[in-house]
Amino acid sequence: MSGVNVTTFTIVIILFVVVTGVGFAAARWRRADMMNLDEWGLGGRGFGTFITWFLLGGDLYTAYTFIAVPALVFGSGSIGFYAVAYTIMVFPIVFIFLPRLWSVSRVHGYVTPADFIRGRYGSRGLALAAAFTGILALMPYIALQLVGIQAVLTVMGVGASSSNSFVKDLPLFIAFLVLAIFTYVSGLRAPAMIAFIKDTLIYVFVLVAVFYIPTRLGGWGHIFGFAQAHFAAISPVTKKPLGTFVPVAQSIGSTRLDFASLALGSAVALFLYPHAITGTLAAKRRGAVKRNMIYLPLYSVLLALIALFGYMAVADPVTAANVKKAGNAQLAVPYLFQHMFPSWFTGVAFAGIIIGALVPAAIMSIAAANLFTKNVFVEFFKQDASPALQTRMSQWVSLVVKLGALLFAVELPHTFSINLQLLGGIWILQLAPMLIGGLFTRWFHRWALLAGWLAGMLFGTIAAYNVSSVTASHWAGSSDIEFGHTIYIGLTAVLLNLVVAVVLTLILKAVRAPEGADETLPEQYLADPDQAPVPVPAGAGARLDG
Amino acid sequence: MTQATIRSRSAIAAHPITSTAIALLVAVDIFLVLWVPLYSRLTPKWGDFPFFYWYLLIIMPVSSLLLWIAALLQKRLARPGTGRASGAVLAEGTVRSVEAGSEDGQ
Repeated sequence: MSGVNVTTFTIVIILFVVVTGVGFAAARWRRADMMNLDEWGLGGRGFGTFITWFLLGGDLYTAYTFIAVPALVFGSGSIGFYAVAYTIMVFPIVFIFLPRLWSVSRVHGYVTPADFIRGRYGSRGLALAAAFTGILALMPYIALQLVGIQAVLTVMGVGASSSNSFVKDLPLFIAFLVLAIFTYVSGLRAPAMIAFIKDTLIYVFVLVAVFYIPTRLGGWGHIFGFAQAHFAAISPVTKKPLGTFVPVAQSIGSTRLDFASLALGSAVALFLYPHAITGTLAAKRRGAVKRNMIYLPLYSVLLALIALFGYMAVADPVTAANVKKAGNAQLAVPYLFQHMFPSWFTGVAFAGIIIGALVPAAIMSIAAANLFTKNVFVEFFKQDASPALQTRMSQWVSLVVKLGALLFAVELPHTFSINLQLLGGIWILQLAPMLIGGLFTRWFHRWALLAGWLAGMLFGTIAAYNVSSVTASHWAGSSDIEFGHTIYIGLTAVLLNLVVAVVLTLILKAVRAPEGADETLPEQYLADPDQAPVPVPAGAGARLDG
Repeated sequence: MTQATIRSRSAIAAHPITSTAIALLVAVDIFLVLWVPLYSRLTPKWGDFPFFYWYLLIIMPVSSLLLWIAALLQKRLARPGTGRASGAVLAEGTVRSVEAGSEDGQ
């Protein structure tokens, strides 16, 4: 524990304890029967515009934002700004389909995206595929949060000096355990409440950093000029430029098409993730969902500023040298803050990043747990499970999912942790035809959708596995070269998925294969009921609200 | 089923111009960011910021504004007496019947 700054460490611990307390207290907020999956997993579906904004913001801006994006900008330049383009594009895209999903889910009481798939296509198999994809895709995304926490802890010097890998990861395990326990106890209420604290911390340190750090580094002109010269330099290893300062038409690794496909793929993917849908379904009214599409871009401004930290780290010789010595681009932002800020403020910023990773990790594991309980456990194993049993199941599964994420965090190469999120994106995008398609049309045949999904999943996984780099032989990136252009694998995979689904639908319709029942009605996609549907009590149930 | 389909489409049929405007607003909003050649250049600079970087910052409030207008227009589509409103009322009534028996849906 040498090299630990006591002030920084103390501030982080104090803020962490406060947040943990809030996490446990959240169970009493708008007190209700926690042994009900709607309560534990959707916060009682009673969140207005304001809380939904914080909750979705907590979902969307994560360690991905604070660690992974600046790390990519630090390492490769402008390609990292695809994340900025993506968070702008995401809102007009989801504006098209998300209110429809909210409405139909509210009318029918759907908790997960797979519930909707099952109701729309009358197909348990398709719903199982959707649930499986959701759980699988969330694991690398949660893993990314853990990598982010680890980056901060490493720079703080906590445990990093030990050569024993167990001691080294111990602080991470402790943070992880606390997260697991308060998620278990408080469900979705915990991250919703903590999101307030998290966002306040983050807004404060980002704004301070954006105005203060450039004054230390000779102004924005110097930062941009330095970055431009830096990325134009030829790397002695690859004999190519280190990166690009703006996306160019022809270049290896950073073309305009790569930039646009990463942004589009990520934007479509975001609200296919079960946790983003969970956050949406927890909203009280359809209007709250729509208004959020208008207010949420406020967070995008923040993201753009945070991405610029990558250039600040490039332009600051001390930070750049530290990162190079550690050989880990993820450390760019933590090192930058440590060098630029007084130690107490570094503590505030570090606590903000750690909490900013814990909140989404909690929401994601809750969403994955809901998926498993509703669409695998109840559907295939215990149809008459009581609400209390369902909630208990979800609580335990949320722990299992986090352990799976820990495996991803340990096993996959960390050169750019952003690849963890992009890998999840490749998988979750395969739900686009059945989910987004299904919100607008019942034309697709359920078997064709299943075949398309399988084709997309297989192609995407194999293609991602085969991406290699100088430092890693597999899983090294998320873009590959198709027809002479570098493009995001998720996008090519979902195009393949769509083509298979369309062709097979035409064939299956020609041979009149059974279509399956559709329990939804067209006007239900526009409905705005103000009363939440009463959860159907299977058996006796433990409802105390009567 | 067919009757309900007609009902939900009637909002678009009744306001073709407003509906087109909404679709256009959303499409333009996406295009402004998706078409990278539009902004992947260095000049004109704004202060110390190269074009690529200040464009991405400026486009955020623009995107918000376009969506806000689109949402306002949608509200006009949904005024009482139009298809959307009656659809919402109908939807609440159908919850029970749908849960009772969805087998005969097709």
